[in-house]
Amino acid sequence: MSLAEPAALPVAASVAPRLNVLKRFMGRFRASLPAYLLLLPSLVFLALFTYGAMGRVLVDALYQRATPKAPVRFVGFENISAVLADPAFAGAVVNNLIYAFGTAVPSIALALLFALALSRTNAVTSALRAALFLPVLIPMVAASALFLFIFLPNVGLLDYYIGRLLPLLPNWLGDPDIALTAIMVITIWKNAGYYMLFFLAGLQSVPEDVMEAAHLDGAGPYRRLRHIILPELKPTFLFVTVIATLNAVTQVDHVFVMTQGGPSNATNLVLFYIYQQAVEHYDIGKASAATLLTLAALMGLTALSFRTMASREGGA
Amino acid sequence: MLFSRRLMLGLAMIGTMAGTLAVPAKAEGPTEVDLFFPVPVDGKLARDMGTLIKEFNETHPAIKATAVYTGSYDDTLIKTRAAIKAGKPPAAVIMSANFLLDMQIENELTNLDALIKADGTTKEQFLSQFFPALHGNAVINRSVYGVPFHNSTPLLYINADKAKEAGLDPSKPPQTWAELTDWAKKLTKREGDKVTQWGIAIPCAYDYCGWMMETLTMSNGGRYYNEEFGGEVYYDTPSMLGALSWWNDLIYKHKVHTPGATPGPAVSTSFISGNAAMMMLSTGSLTYVRDNAKFAYKVAFIPRNVRNAVPIGGASLIMPAGLEADKQKAAWTLIKWMTSPEKSGWWSRATGYFAPNMAAYKTPEMVDFLNKNPDAKTAVEQLDVAKPWFATYKTVPVRKNLEDEVMLVLNGKKQPKEALAAAQKAADETLKPYNAETSLKLP
Repeated sequence: MSLAEPAALPVAASVAPRLNVLKRFMGRFRASLPAYLLLLPSLVFLALFTYGAMGRVLVDALYQRATPKAPVRFVGFENISAVLADPAFAGAVVNNLIYAFGTAVPSIALALLFALALSRTNAVTSALRAALFLPVLIPMVAASALFLFIFLPNVGLLDYYIGRLLPLLPNWLGDPDIALTAIMVITIWKNAGYYMLFFLAGLQSVPEDVMEAAHLDGAGPYRRLRHIILPELKPTFLFVTVIATLNAVTQVDHVFVMTQGGPSNATNLVLFYIYQQAVEHYDIGKASAATLLTLAALMGLTALSFRTMASREGGA
Repeated sequence: MLFSRRLMLGLAMIGTMAGTLAVPAKAEGPTEVDLFFPVPVDGKLARDMGTLIKEFNETHPAIKATAVYTGSYDDTLIKTRAAIKAGKPPAAVIMSANFLLDMQIENELTNLDALIKADGTTKEQFLSQFFPALHGNAVINRSVYGVPFHNSTPLLYINADKAKEAGLDPSKPPQTWAELTDWAKKLTKREGDKVTQWGIAIPCAYDYCGWMMETLTMSNGGRYYNEEFGGEVYYDTPSMLGALSWWNDLIYKHKVHTPGATPGPAVSTSFISGNAAMMMLSTGSLTYVRDNAKFAYKVAFIPRNVRNAVPIGGASLIMPAGLEADKQKAAWTLIKWMTSPEKSGWWSRATGYFAPNMAAYKTPEMVDFLNKNPDAKTAVEQLDVAKPWFATYKTVPVRKNLEDEVMLVLNGKKQPKEALAAAQKAADETLKPYNAETSLKLP
């Protein structure tokens, strides 16, 4: 674009640099050819199953049919504005924000706590670490099926024990005020152990000599945590926060198994909304538009956090 | 040693290649057809389906049928639609009976009239094999689009031991809503404010909730939807208001039903554990209750307020649109075989659904079975008052428009009247595109 614009320049003068650019490009390409060849198999699969699908979503998001028997026609951004105007989508976004915040913060706090408590390696901490990591190994679908029985109203495991304390038993998954919290508890239970691993790894990089120096200077455990450990863990925090946020959007297996977005849309999250549009409403256009919006938000978030991470690491 | 191993490997490779080559040559023999089947209740069904298809293949050498398990009813619809889109539709699908209309509107079904005619029978003769209550979900615009395969109706299950304890006679189950309310009150046990045993449980989760609302509305004289036209539902009506108000009263006035929306498995577990003394649930759960209840139980018709009426549930065999002629013919043979009296009866005994083919109940095996399990008879007798399952344009979203509001009522967050008005408004909005193309498309 910028090369083409100054049309007033004499032709002869612009040809040579262009050739140069081409030649340089070819040279560079030839040098990196083996790399491309080696990458080819995975590139083919990425193109087929990731970028191809994304391209298809992009195209599908631009088409819609007016009535059931009418052919699909190009509608531009109408699908996207229809999704943005849909109160169910707004509800799903709000639910998802509550869900993301309500799962990321407690599970990261718990993970840090576990990691600090179990940072030294001996037989007891190893066993405890394994126990805390165990939920990660259980597939989400299986875990949801288990919790379905734990949460059964009146006869479930939870009500069996809590029932002695409360006069009226809550209907954990059937009450719109409680259902989302119940779903969040499962996510926290499932993810805290996973995030603990990152913090354990992060704790290894806290310099031993600084800690010793602080100890000799008379810094108590709180001050060591506040002024040495936490600053050293900053990159870990950032990374885990990104992972937790992505999980909050992409891992909704338990919603499928346990509540189907209900009762009364109380646990409807963005990904489930997309599923509903595609499958129940059979509205591919709207589902694709919602997918694009979600994808854009996630990519923006990831880019932002990795840029912050890079600048922090560079600045430090 | 090394040589021989290499030789063996080589031979194995040649063998594999020959095998691969041989397959296309063989394919010219039997017509291969895929049958998509869901398992809506429990895992045993998959094994029974295997047995059934094996028998079909042994008796029909010209056809090779393969049963493909496709998950729940909803998943089966998704997978069928995906297969149609990919240009490789399965030859036959066991499809939830109330999805047929929606699929027909989307041009995804094969009209079976021509195949019936080619057999030398009429539509009326063909349909007369099946219980009349099942015709509504199989016939669209006077054409046959599905063949009933396994069906159910809702039933009232009663814990007979608890009824006797409370001084009630389980051989005379409640017939009306008034009697049922009375029974539920007598069967609810309290310790102070705390309920230790609930009188009745009615399931409400997506799918089940709409079916129960149709059940209660129909026994209150209502219709729920327009049986003749897919663009109308009757949510904001006196019959549905009465139904939802009664359900609401059971929870908040009589306090004999647990508050909130309770999914089906929670209801059956509650009944089995003795926590709920009565429940309304599908006949499909009868086998489960029979196998697990450690007490005497009794099944009865759904009590009436205005009239005895219940919707049917279950699935029909359909053929997706766009099949090649030979596959269509093979699939039709398979469908007719699977819905014949003998096979229909066998499947009914294996699964607990009732057999849609009336002649199945005349077979000696079935007569024998009903004598041993008289409770299975109730479901069949209730068929006399059964009506079609709601089916509209976009059945699932239109159903959810109602269910979301019903759940708010059951949780004490809304009153029945305003909830039904909101449900009606939402459903009308969902049905709008279809009406724009049909009832509101004027010359």
